Amino acid sequence: MSQPAAIHLSGVSKRYGRTLAVDDVSLSVAHGEVFGFLGPNGAGKSTIVKMVLGLTYPTAGEIEVLGQPVGSLAARAEVGYLPETFRFHDWLTASELLHFHARLARVPANARTERVPDLLELVGLKDRANDRISTFSKGMMQRVGLAQALVGEPRLVILDEPTSALDPIGRRDVRDRIRELGERGVTVFLNSHLLSEVEQVCDRVAIIDHGSIVAEGKLDELLNAQEIELRAGEGAEAAARKILGKGGVRKVNGRLRVRVANDDETARLIRRMVEAGVPVYDVRQIGDSLEDLFVRVAERGDV
Amino acid sequence: MSTHLIAFFTLREALRRRVVLAAALLTLGYLVLYGVGVWFGYRDLQETQGGPPGLTEGVVSLMLVGGLWSLNFIASVLAVFLSVGALSGEVDQGTLHAIAARPVRRSEIVLGKFVGFTLMLAVFIGVSASLMILIVAVITGEIVGGSWAGPFLMLLASMLLIGLALAGSSRLSPLPNGVIVFTLYATALIGGVIEQIGDVLESAVMFNIGVFSSVLVPTRAMWDMASAQLATGGFVGELSAGPFGASNPPSGWMLLIAFLHLALTLGFALRAFQRRDF
Repeated sequence: MSQPAAIHLSGVSKRYGRTLAVDDVSLSVAHGEVFGFLGPNGAGKSTIVKMVLGLTYPTAGEIEVLGQPVGSLAARAEVGYLPETFRFHDWLTASELLHFHARLARVPANARTERVPDLLELVGLKDRANDRISTFSKGMMQRVGLAQALVGEPRLVILDEPTSALDPIGRRDVRDRIRELGERGVTVFLNSHLLSEVEQVCDRVAIIDHGSIVAEGKLDELLNAQEIELRAGEGAEAAARKILGKGGVRKVNGRLRVRVANDDETARLIRRMVEAGVPVYDVRQIGDSLEDLFVRVAERGDV
Repeated sequence: MSTHLIAFFTLREALRRRVVLAAALLTLGYLVLYGVGVWFGYRDLQETQGGPPGLTEGVVSLMLVGGLWSLNFIASVLAVFLSVGALSGEVDQGTLHAIAARPVRRSEIVLGKFVGFTLMLAVFIGVSASLMILIVAVITGEIVGGSWAGPFLMLLASMLLIGLALAGSSRLSPLPNGVIVFTLYATALIGGVIEQIGDVLESAVMFNIGVFSSVLVPTRAMWDMASAQLATGGFVGELSAGPFGASNPPSGWMLLIAFLHLALTLGFALRAFQRRDF
């Protein structure tokens, strides 16, 4: 039997009043994968992360984390999370914060006394271990937040914009930590609006915009892919999804837009659609649409 | 279970926060002033000749009840200030995100905070009331203060406010929640006065308004019961009518209503916080 995915979302939507923040998102992150979730601010990335952690409830859809239904305590014990806000109780010292989170994560006492100083050293805060977090800069708070996310030796680490307050050196450190985690077989889910950050560490990415996943796959393949627009008969969308697998098919102004790797795939898609009884009236290539999308959804960043 | 972790965390936070330090310093200052007041009051009392038997004990007891009323008031304000932003405020600030993502039930967060604030208030009331009883005992040589039931009822009044503030905080942000909780607290306070006036004027309507306010928020009723327990000496009941106490202490049913009230507010807090989106 194959191992269940580290994170699995199927048909997940979230509605806040009249706003649809997340629209029918399906996604699977395999064990040991470093997965990048890329999109502009306000695209719905943090909402999805909070739903995966059981902090926010989906309006529709199913979520599984480490093979358990979302929110189960057993799964949460193996998840580390750095929130986007990285705000912690600032009356604690760095060391106290880590000890508290280690206890919450059910780390045994003897392991705690060893791990806490090690982690503080790892994030470069060894000298500030006994200083209150209220005296920390934003960058230091983000680094202590990263240590906090790792304190339970999680199998899955979810980092929501982990470098937003860091300088270029700090960003490089975080990227190194993420790579180390990946090498140790820890699954990493990295939320970011920085293309360069995702580009450098992630095995696979999904791009989200306006609450929907617009592309998913290996980043270089995505960058080289083309998009075509089809005018076709009844059942075209379902047929295209079936032929290509689920990703890369969307409707724009009533027309179908499909991402394909190359011209051969375009030819194969149209042949199979016609064979399936879906008439195709018109096909045209959309110039550089994905590149436009990247420019729109992701910042290059200064890394 | 992580309730105890959250409870001790909450207690530690309260102890480190300035609001508790401020309350402690102010209370200490108040106790000094109070001691001076009792000293002069008692000296004047001793110079008074005659009067009914038991006058000294009665007046000393009244001075203590008046002093404890102030402590009860400070405790109530402290209870509301500590807990009014405990859930929503922390969700809005983002300080609860990392904690709630741990293998911790939402109910453990709510109950842990409740227990933490209650411990805090228990320490505050226990220490300050003991100091006050000690001050009176040292100055007058009279050991008054009745049974332990008095301070416990004072604590219960604070617990009711913590429950109410947590229930509000599961949905409302700190400012509107604080306004609502203080308004309800004031309603109960004024309701008690209306009830007394109604009693004197034999107005059933006013009396019933007072009783209704006590059922709505039984904090004032808890103090009335506490003051009846704290006061010793036959005529104190009549003297202590006014803001410090009731001429007729509430019946034992009020205790049941108070516990029911606590169960309801905590139940609401648990349920609403469970369903809340971060």
